[in-house]
Amino acid sequence: MVGNDPFVGDVVTQLLDYPAKLRVDDTRYHGQAPVTTADLDALLRRVAQHDSSAFAEFYDATRSRVYGMVCRVLRDRGYSEETTQDVYLQVWRTAESYDPASGSALAWLLTLAHRRAVDRVRSEQAASQRDSRYGAATVERESDNVTDAVISGEDRRRVAACLNGLTDIQRECIELAYYQGMTYVQVSERLSANLATVKSRMRDGLRGLRNCLGVR
Amino acid sequence: MTQSYDDRPGGDLLELAVPYALHAVSDAERDQIESRLAAATLPVADAFYDEVRAVRETMAIISAASAEEPPADLRDRLLSVAAGDNVRTLPTGRSGGRRRMALLSAAAALAVGLSAVGIGLSLRPPAQQQSTAQQVFSASDVHTVFGAIPAGGTATVVFSRERDAGVLVMNDVPPPAPGTVYQMWLVSPGGATSAGTMDAEAVSPSTTAVLENIGGSTKLAFTVEPPGGSTKPTGTLIAELPLS
Repeated sequence: MVGNDPFVGDVVTQLLDYPAKLRVDDTRYHGQAPVTTADLDALLRRVAQHDSSAFAEFYDATRSRVYGMVCRVLRDRGYSEETTQDVYLQVWRTAESYDPASGSALAWLLTLAHRRAVDRVRSEQAASQRDSRYGAATVERESDNVTDAVISGEDRRRVAACLNGLTDIQRECIELAYYQGMTYVQVSERLSANLATVKSRMRDGLRGLRNCLGVR
Repeated sequence: MTQSYDDRPGGDLLELAVPYALHAVSDAERDQIESRLAAATLPVADAFYDEVRAVRETMAIISAASAEEPPADLRDRLLSVAAGDNVRTLPTGRSGGRRRMALLSAAAALAVGLSAVGIGLSLRPPAQQQSTAQQVFSASDVHTVFGAIPAGGTATVVFSRERDAGVLVMNDVPPPAPGTVYQMWLVSPGGATSAGTMDAEAVSPSTTAVLENIGGSTKLAFTVEPPGGSTKPTGTLIAELPLS
């Protein structure tokens, strides 16, 4: 039943909380400026040449996005660290397969990371047959680590506002699919909704976010 | 209301673009979608991939909201792995034509709660493996080492001296050449002790093994050996992970 599951919507709700916790750890970043899409694309092309300093820069510019997303999906810090490490190792090895014509470097990276996280959560779930580890576990957000200087507060506020603009059912569909690694068929079972409804809620939600964020 | 795709050519396929882009389809359905795309008309395939691209760009921007700093030591570990420092590589006799596991099969299962895979020698039955793995993970002195296997894939060992045990996870490592196995060795100043073998079937796409009695060993080494393994390392050393 929609709304009966205490975990549904958790992640997105947490995401909406962040402005209150927003702070910048200047000591760690020494005032490093936010990195632009073009910067990341250029860095990734250098990573493809096995430029290790470009790799370190690419990691620093993106690590909190990757690790944060992976943590939302895996809900286990140990698994999330391993998966994050695997993701960047894959970046190191396969950066030359990145094609700028098919999208931004950031989207390439997050897609790769999400894929690994989802594969991992599904294999863990299959192994534990949805025992309490994944049925109930949530990872408390470490408020000290919530933010970093490479993502501007403005970007975060804009994203939160757009997430806020979704309907509850759209948010639940995206939450279950993207952050809990469910297939749309599993989402329809969880929400007792038919497949066509789930697909259109997901599509509407994404379209709303896309328009709100100005993604062409 | 949403505009329906159903009255357009390929409409039912296009309805799957968002679930596909969010990795919200099963592996079987993903394969099916990709076959259908390969056979679809160009406008349908273009429309599908355009929507996939837009969804992925959108979720990339959304990641700002869930951003969280990873532990600082992850950076050091990663950079040292990438630089190739963590695994000492010796030339292997094997050349070209190695069978790389598909990158798609990617992520794998770390040990907790995972049933045992078919690995020989020192491996325990599932229940035992689970408890050893849990003991290792809950140990106060748990360490993780991670390295790239030169032939492809990665090996991670999580171990505890206190529990005298470790858990090895190998991801995307190509199987040994036909007629050979990989053998793991716990290497200490006194010599090398076998920690089990893995045949081609066991190495796919991820393998988990429990390492018992790690004692004072300083490295985990991998060699290529004849089927059934050897009592001491005889074949090519393919990788070493320092247990420190």
